[in-house]
Amino acid sequence: MKKSTNVFFNELQKTQLFLKSCGLLALLLMVLEWTRPGLPSPLRPICDLRVLNHFIKEARDAEDAMKSCREGCSLSESVTVPQTTVDFEIWEKKNQAQEVQSGLYLLQQALSLLRASVTNTALHSHIDNSLRNLLSINAVLRSLNIQEYTPPASAAELEGTWRVSTATDLLQVHVNFLRGKVHLLLSDAQACQQDVS
Amino acid sequence: MKCAHLSRLVAVWLIVCAVWKASIVQGARDFEKKVSMLLREEPQNPKCFAEGRKDFTCFWEEDEERAGSVDQYSFTYTYQNENSSRCPLRALPAAGGKRLFICRLNRTQMFVQMDIKVHRLGTLIHNRSLLIELVFLLDPPANVTVSRTAHRDQLNVTWVPPPLKYMDDSMMYEVSYMTDDDSHVGQVEVVRASSELILRGLQPDRKYKLRVRVKLDGISYNGYWSAWSDPVTMETLPAELDALITSLTLIISFILIVLSLSMLLSHRRFVIKKVWPTIPTPDSKFRGLFTVYGGDFQEWLGQTNGGAWLSPAFFYSEECPSPLEVLSELSPCPPLPPKTSRALTTGSGEDKAIQTTSDNRELLESGDSALTERWRATPHDSWLMDRLRALQQNPVPGSQSSLLESQDAYVTLSANNHSGDQHLGDVLEEALPLQAIFASRKTALCESHSDLGSVQLSSGSGHLSSQSSFEYPGHVWMPKGTEYAYMAVADSGVSMDYSPHEQSGRLWETRDLRQRDPSS
Repeated sequence: MKKSTNVFFNELQKTQLFLKSCGLLALLLMVLEWTRPGLPSPLRPICDLRVLNHFIKEARDAEDAMKSCREGCSLSESVTVPQTTVDFEIWEKKNQAQEVQSGLYLLQQALSLLRASVTNTALHSHIDNSLRNLLSINAVLRSLNIQEYTPPASAAELEGTWRVSTATDLLQVHVNFLRGKVHLLLSDAQACQQDVS
Repeated sequence: MKCAHLSRLVAVWLIVCAVWKASIVQGARDFEKKVSMLLREEPQNPKCFAEGRKDFTCFWEEDEERAGSVDQYSFTYTYQNENSSRCPLRALPAAGGKRLFICRLNRTQMFVQMDIKVHRLGTLIHNRSLLIELVFLLDPPANVTVSRTAHRDQLNVTWVPPPLKYMDDSMMYEVSYMTDDDSHVGQVEVVRASSELILRGLQPDRKYKLRVRVKLDGISYNGYWSAWSDPVTMETLPAELDALITSLTLIISFILIVLSLSMLLSHRRFVIKKVWPTIPTPDSKFRGLFTVYGGDFQEWLGQTNGGAWLSPAFFYSEECPSPLEVLSELSPCPPLPPKTSRALTTGSGEDKAIQTTSDNRELLESGDSALTERWRATPHDSWLMDRLRALQQNPVPGSQSSLLESQDAYVTLSANNHSGDQHLGDVLEEALPLQAIFASRKTALCESHSDLGSVQLSSGSGHLSSQSSFEYPGHVWMPKGTEYAYMAVADSGVSMDYSPHEQSGRLWETRDLRQRDPSS
């Protein structure tokens, strides 16, 4: 009689342990899933070009602000910027995504340098805005399933770049790049074409 | 065989040439339009525009006298961070004695600054820096179509945008619409990144003229407004009456019609009287004249009693000045001269007699009150009876006085109940009740004792009428004293024609009363 009850209780304890471990495991899995680093969830494609238009307008405002700046608005050193030229016959044959991605990267570098160089506080807000917009454009590109850009080791290896030495030229390039290549890439994106049709 | 083949070839070639020339002509016209538009709007020189993704055109204008040959000029353009290039120029004559120098590029670079320099014989004459994607001048939208929608105040406009890749989302359009009569300025609607528009708030049943133009929105690309497309006309649907208002109007009008009809029917007698008033006819006064004798008055007079017709006074209106006055001066009992008896004997019913009696009537009416008193006077003299006798024996065409006498005789008979002559006796007997009647009439004028009176009167009236059918050739009737009373009786309360045949007049009066009774 005693023996049977002992056996019964032993069995009961085992079952309890098993259930607890299962619960813990489930909890662990949930936590891991939540904290999983770096893997992006598939985003809805952002095909509305009004987002980019908004960025372009803000970049134009920054350029105008820079044109009217007299002091404390110079670039400390020359920077590498992407070429903004678009020859349609050539453009259609290029790897547009890569060109845009590398160009955005270069611009981010250049604007960061400008942010450090400029002492005018009014311009700081514009430059910060432009930097945030560049990051947003990266997010838009990601939503369109465009591959992530891995920057090269040195900037000199890149083709299709220019060197600018003034803040005005830099911001002009920034505007033209957004209006040209980025805009063309987004308007011609495959993900958006399927939505339209 | 060969000839046919050749001819076919020639025909085809001609057609192709014609089409090609037509397209060239059309292209040239479009170009001219753009040139003229830019000359108006662009202040800088040279004026440049891009029509598509790959082409680029620049031009400037010079006066014919001052312009040199094309070789003197050089057009140089330089992209940012690149070497300069030259553009081949060509010259075209322009309106107003001018010359155009045109440079056209078939390959361009956008989103990069372009510096343009124009030299003439080594001298810089024009200098400009621009970005090509910011100077677009597109062709107007094609295939503008307008259609009606389900609503009466709307029109649906659609068009085909210029065929530019990548740029559809960057285009904005202006739709201009106005009524056909151009009474007011046309209105404009702006559309962005869409190639159709529904116009609202239009007037129904009007013709509208619509046209569209295009421009790039200015964010990524920019440029000038294109020329207006060819106008398209469309008529909006006519306004229809609201169903509710129509039904309400019908119901209300129906109700009003029903009401008016019912009112008309309920008051139809009144309406008929007003619209078609009854013309009084004398049929009621002349019993049997029209029904029995067919309007033959003489016959009717002869057959019916004398009291059933109007006295001759009704027909005669001859003025006899003063018989009544004379009557008032006379004493009640003067004997009449014999010649008066002549007046009594006349034929039956002549107009003159009637005229006389009508005058007498007027006189009688004037002397009403006095006559009434006289009538109550003591009965008549015997001379009246003599007169009557004379009358019976010698019927003479009556003078005025004879007429009087006959009247006197009647009155006498009625008042005194004398029965002299047999004729007279008859008359008297029959006239006996007359006194009573007159008496009764004196007391109650308006009472309808007419039945009693009429019967008796009618019985006697036969005689009376025979005597009353005298001719009265317009003599003035000279009343005696008794005639006053007689006249008063005749005159009492009833406006009617007075005549020597007062009895008949009275009879008529009673008849009239009788006739009145049923209707009252």
